[in-house]
Amino acid sequence: MATATVVAAGTKARTERGSGIRPSGWIGFLFIAPNLLGVIAFTLIPLISVVVLAFTDWNLVSGLGGITFNGLDNFVAIARDPGFWHAIGLTLVYVVVSVPLTVVLGLALGIALNRPLPGRAVLRAIFFLPYIVNVVAIGMTWLMLMNPKAGLVNQVLDAFGLQPGWFASSHWALPALIVMAVWGGVGYCSLIYLSALQDAPQQLYEAADIDGASAWSKFRVITWPSLLPTTIFLLVTLIIGASQGFGLIALITAGGPGDATTTISYYMYQTGFQFYRFGYASAIGLVTFVGVLVLTLLTWRAQRGRALND
Amino acid sequence: MRRKRFSRREVLAGVGAGLAAAVVPGCSGGDGGRSGALQVWGGVPAASGPADVVKAFQAKFPQYKVNYTRFVNDDRGNLKLDTALQGGVDIDVYFTYSQGAMALRAGSGLAADLTDRVKADPELQVFLDTEQPRSYIDNGKVKALATAREPFFVLFNEKLRQQAGVELPQSWTIDEFRATAKKLTTDKTVGTYTLPDVARIALGPNYWYDGNRSNFGDPHFEQGFRVGREMIAQGTAFPWTEVLSRHLDAYQQNSFLGEEFHLWSTAPFNLRYLYDAKKYPHDFKVAFAPSPTVDGQNWNGGSFSNFIMVNPKSPKFEAAWAFVKFWLTEGATPMLKGGKMPALGNVTDEQIVSGMLGKEPEKYFDLDSFRRVVLASDPKLATDTRLTGFPEISLAMKQQRDLCWLGEKDPGVAIREVRRLADAAIARNERRP
Repeated sequence: MATATVVAAGTKARTERGSGIRPSGWIGFLFIAPNLLGVIAFTLIPLISVVVLAFTDWNLVSGLGGITFNGLDNFVAIARDPGFWHAIGLTLVYVVVSVPLTVVLGLALGIALNRPLPGRAVLRAIFFLPYIVNVVAIGMTWLMLMNPKAGLVNQVLDAFGLQPGWFASSHWALPALIVMAVWGGVGYCSLIYLSALQDAPQQLYEAADIDGASAWSKFRVITWPSLLPTTIFLLVTLIIGASQGFGLIALITAGGPGDATTTISYYMYQTGFQFYRFGYASAIGLVTFVGVLVLTLLTWRAQRGRALND
Repeated sequence: MRRKRFSRREVLAGVGAGLAAAVVPGCSGGDGGRSGALQVWGGVPAASGPADVVKAFQAKFPQYKVNYTRFVNDDRGNLKLDTALQGGVDIDVYFTYSQGAMALRAGSGLAADLTDRVKADPELQVFLDTEQPRSYIDNGKVKALATAREPFFVLFNEKLRQQAGVELPQSWTIDEFRATAKKLTTDKTVGTYTLPDVARIALGPNYWYDGNRSNFGDPHFEQGFRVGREMIAQGTAFPWTEVLSRHLDAYQQNSFLGEEFHLWSTAPFNLRYLYDAKKYPHDFKVAFAPSPTVDGQNWNGGSFSNFIMVNPKSPKFEAAWAFVKFWLTEGATPMLKGGKMPALGNVTDEQIVSGMLGKEPEKYFDLDSFRRVVLASDPKLATDTRLTGFPEISLAMKQQRDLCWLGEKDPGVAIREVRRLADAAIARNERRP
């Protein structure tokens, strides 16, 4: 009897430690199963496939039987591919210019919208609108606005003696895309900053007021450190998003004129879906993934110990 | 009451089984999921002709039922067709429109060998011709048959031509084309959209290739870039900044009908916009001139196209072949309304006029010039059969042409860059297994 009790107690203990799943847990799995199946089918399996395909020469049309493993050939070819490095260069310019601009303008707008303004709620909605509007509508609107001959933007710039070619110029096409990206992201950033600003510790501001601190001092010592985790979150998500930028490029420039807007995502698309070099495109994807991961980790590390609450 | 507990292993197995149940039906291979009907995939909307072809076929062969599925003939649409063919989706007959896709499909076991059927049929002997090929022959095997011929011609806006006092040419050179565009240029209307493909007219089919290298060292390529750029600079060809910023390449008809430019080098598939007065209202007729010649050469920029192919995995090969032959020999007349002239030419002139030019042909077209240029002449169509690195070379040509015609790159520098990229693409593709 004593032995049986000990065994039963042991079983119960094991179960409670989690070696089995209670019916309630099983029901939990059922609830997440549709999403889990989607993640496995549309994220996990493609991700693993890309890693495998990166070491192959495959054109898709030849079927699974046409997959030829070629070791590190794709990576050697990438290292020697001027098109790849050109695309990496363009992507870096796109990221390095668009992301800080978006964050800085988003912060300024967030601070402005945090003050008591007439129609503040409406203004917040207006600034957030670009983030939720369909990318095709955005693309077509900007295409008309930036028409070099008849577009509204150049009609305004004409007063200053400027006539950029925008999407019809290999020098201006990337800046045009950056302008669109910044315009599309500022509202989102401002909204995130707004919620962070409303969580900022008010007692510190009161103490600073008592000490007679200037507005700049309060921003530098209280506001900015309290916003640092938010800023890092925005930097990380925007860097990832910008390095994957594809929709507007595919819609408006198709990588051109010439290869002036062939960023790494579009180059990968061309290589895979236009040239049918799926092995090589997968290798580009893998290299890009590692690059973005490293960039993200570096950004993350840079903020450690600097936030107000650390 | 005892309640069953599930181990992690059991739960994972359940999730795995659920996943398999969800995914596997979408990857049906072999003959799984095949229907009794003949499955035909094409890029032309059913209402623009294919539905009538299918109806006529089913009337003649009541033992066969046909389902026509339309795929959009762009990168994504073609990828959808490729994955469907590769994944064993029920497709018996399909169409290929781009030469890049043709090389891949024919070379990757996605096209049945039709050689014996073609050789055995007296009506189809023309598909064995290799001088002006109407079929795609891969290693001596006929893999695809052209259903349409698409000659290029030059359209004139008759109202503006008469105002300018320009004679409608019956034969002309590329220099005369350029001079005519200049005469037709006014404050409101540019002389031409762009100039015809100079190198294609001079060199004919497979003009991008020379042995195991590219052929962009031929001076006609640089001539095409240079003349186009000069015409844009003079204002006699459409400004390329406008073409790119308005995405005009896909909507040339709108600018032609809006009288933004005059001469339009195009093919029969664009005629459908010219008689559709409801969607595209306009008050002028168009007249037809042949493509200009270059250095005495007169290859036409058009080609035999719209290739029909049979899936080698089809278990309904006899029905598939019956459909292919019907389309080629007697069924293609309904396709005229979409501007597809049958490759075998087995339709009467009156069928072409009423099929391609709408219900009131006299109202929108100069029929004399149409008969002379499109019906009576027999242009030398240039159908490419050498396709190594075709998509890469197409992209290189487009990119460098854009830079040249935007005025950002010298024609010689641009064509040398095309040559470098094309040589690399050919070498890389010929190394592939």
